[in-house]
Amino acid sequence: MEIHNTPKLTLFHCINSFEETPSMFDNCQVKTVKMACASMTKDIHLLRAFEAGSDAVLVLVCPDKGCRYAQGSIRAKKRVDYVKTILDDIGMDGRRLSIFNTTAKDSRAITDIIQKTLVALETIGPNPALNHLN
Amino acid sequence: MITGSQKPINEIIKLVEPYKKVLILGCGTCVKTCFAGGEDEVAVLASALRLSFKQMAKSIDIEELTIERQCENEFIQEASPGIARNEAILSLACGAGVQAMAKRFAKEVVLPGVNTTFIGIQESPGIFTEECSGCGNCSLAIFGGVCPVTRCAKKLLNGPCGGSQNGVCEIDPDTPCAWHLIIERLTTLGQLDNLKTYIPPKNWNTSLSGGPRKLIREDHII
Amino acid sequence: MKPLSRLHEKLSQGKFAITGECGPPRGSNKDVIDNKITLLNGFVDAVNVTDNQTAIVRMSSIAAAAHVVAAGLEPVMQMVVRDRNRIAIQSDIMGAYSLGIKNILCLSGDHQKFGSQPDAMNVFDIDSVNLIRTVRDMRNTGKDMSGFDLDVAPQMFIGAAANPFADPFDYRVIRLAKKIDAGADFIQTQCIYNMDRFKEWIRRANDEGLTEKVYILGGVTPLRSAGMARYMNKKVAGMDVPDEIIKRMDGVDKQYQADEGIKICLETIETLKELTGVHGVHIMAIEWEAVVEQLVTQAGLK
Repeated sequence: MEIHNTPKLTLFHCINSFEETPSMFDNCQVKTVKMACASMTKDIHLLRAFEAGSDAVLVLVCPDKGCRYAQGSIRAKKRVDYVKTILDDIGMDGRRLSIFNTTAKDSRAITDIIQKTLVALETIGPNPALNHLN
Repeated sequence: MITGSQKPINEIIKLVEPYKKVLILGCGTCVKTCFAGGEDEVAVLASALRLSFKQMAKSIDIEELTIERQCENEFIQEASPGIARNEAILSLACGAGVQAMAKRFAKEVVLPGVNTTFIGIQESPGIFTEECSGCGNCSLAIFGGVCPVTRCAKKLLNGPCGGSQNGVCEIDPDTPCAWHLIIERLTTLGQLDNLKTYIPPKNWNTSLSGGPRKLIREDHII
Repeated sequence: MKPLSRLHEKLSQGKFAITGECGPPRGSNKDVIDNKITLLNGFVDAVNVTDNQTAIVRMSSIAAAAHVVAAGLEPVMQMVVRDRNRIAIQSDIMGAYSLGIKNILCLSGDHQKFGSQPDAMNVFDIDSVNLIRTVRDMRNTGKDMSGFDLDVAPQMFIGAAANPFADPFDYRVIRLAKKIDAGADFIQTQCIYNMDRFKEWIRRANDEGLTEKVYILGGVTPLRSAGMARYMNKKVAGMDVPDEIIKRMDGVDKQYQADEGIKICLETIETLKELTGVHGVHIMAIEWEAVVEQLVTQAGLK
C-alpha cells in the first residue's frame, strides 16, 4: 500500500446538513456517506472510516434544535465524543474526528470546515494506522 | 442483570499483544444490555484493536463472534470452531462467562475484556444502578422492596446512620440514602411499623462469607 | 444497679455530666494523649477516645483509652463497626474491659471513602444497634453472641450516638428508641448549632418517655472561625450549622472569631442545662482541648 499524499476525508452527513458544490473538495479526496438523520451516526462506522484509510472524519449534522427527529444531532455529538476518546486512547488523536452543525444551503461554511480540517491535518499528520504494511 | 464495563483499551491491548490470532467473543445477554460486550461492542473493540496494532506494525488477526450466553454450555458450543482457529479468546462476558469458557475449553487461553461490576438495573437510559448483592437470604419484604444490604453504604439493617441528609448518602451527593427510600416506601405502603422491628445480626453464611456457593436442584440432576 | 463507671455514677445522681474528647495521634506517640489528658483532667467526667474517626488511621481507641485510664481519667472508648467483624468486636470489648475501660460508645463509623485509605474494604458485619445489643447481652447475660458463658463478662456503661440533624427527621426518634431498646444507657448527640431542631427532637423524645430511660448528653463544638463553621456545614456528614450562626461568626473581626465561637458554645450549654431531658454536655473541642477549661468554668459547671 502506498502512503497517500492527498488527504483522505470521510464525511458523514445528515441529508439536510450537506450538499456538494463545485470546488468544495479541492486538495483532498472525500468520500461522503449520506444518513437519513444524524442519529444514524454509529461508533463502528466512524472507526471503520479510519480503518479504510481516512486521515480525518467529519460528521455534519443539523443544528441541535433543527433536528427533525428531535435529538439526532445531540446523539451524534455524544457518539462522536465517545469515539474521540477511543482514538485518543489508541494514539490516533481524537482531533481527526469532528462534528459540526451545518445546513445544506450553507456551502461556504462547509467549504470552510473542510479547508480548516486540511490545515489541522498538517499538524496532526496522516492516519498513523496506514503508515505500515498490514 | 449482571452489569459490566469494558476494560480500558490499553489494558486489553496488553492482554492480547502476545497473540497473533484472537477471537473477540461477545455475550448477547446481560453485558449486551449494558453496552459492554454485545455484538456492537465486539465490532468497535475489534476495529480499535486493528487500528492500534497497525500503528505498531504488528500483524494480528481478529475474529469477531457473539453468542447468546457464555455462561451456558448450550450456547458455548457455537463458539467451538472459532476458538479452534485462534490462539486466544478475549471474552467480553461477565466473570461467570469468562470462567465458563475457561472450564469448557480447558486448553485455551481465555482473557477477560470486561470488568464485571454488579447485579443491577438500567435505571434510565445509560444509567445502571446496583440493586442486589446476592446475599442468599432476601429480606426485601420488610424493607419495602429497597435493599439496605446493597444500597446502604454501611449495610445498616436497623435504620439510617447520622450521615443521611436531604435524602442523600454521606458518601456521595449522587447516591440516594437507601434508608430514606425505605422510609418513603414504607410510608406509602402504610407499613412504617416495620421500622420499629429489631433486625438481629445478619447471617452472612449464605453470602460469599460462607465460601463459594453452590446451588443444587436434585430433580434436575441425572 | 451498682454504677458501672464514674460517668454512670454522676449521671445516676442526677448531676449534669461533662464529657470531652481525645483524638488519638496518627502514630504511636503516647505523649500526644498525655498532653490532651493534662488539659482535660479535672474539667470533664470522662473523655471519649475516638476510633479512627473520619476513617483516618490512628492509634487504636483501645490502646489510647488504656493510656487515659493510666493517666487517671475515665475514657469512653468509641468503637465503630466499620473495621471489625463480630468476632473482633467481642474480642476487643473483652480486652478493653480487662484494661480498665468501663464506658463504650457504639457507632457505625464514618464511611472509609473520606478517610486516608479509601481503597480499604469495609466490614459492617453488624450495625451499631447490634453492637449496642452485643455489649448489653455480654453484660447482662454473661454470654457472648454465640451463647457461650464468659469467664468474667465485660460490664460496660453503654453509649450510643444520635443525630437530631440527620434526615429523615421523623425517623430520628424511632431510631433513638431502637437504640434504647437495644441497651443504650446514655446518648451523645451530634454537635448542636441548630437549637430549634434540637429542642423539637428532645421534645418528641420527652413525649415518648425516652429521656427517662436514657441519659442524653448534648454535643457541642466551639467554632474557631467563620471558615470552620462553613466547612462543617458543607463538608462534615450529618452536620447542620444554620446561616445565622455563620453570619454571626462572619460579623466579627477575624481575630475575635474564636471568642465569638466560645460565646455561642456557652449559650448552647446554658440552654442545654435548662432543657428537660438533657443530662449533660459532650464537648468536642477538636484539636482545641485547651478551651475546655474555659468553657467548663465559664458555664459554671465547675
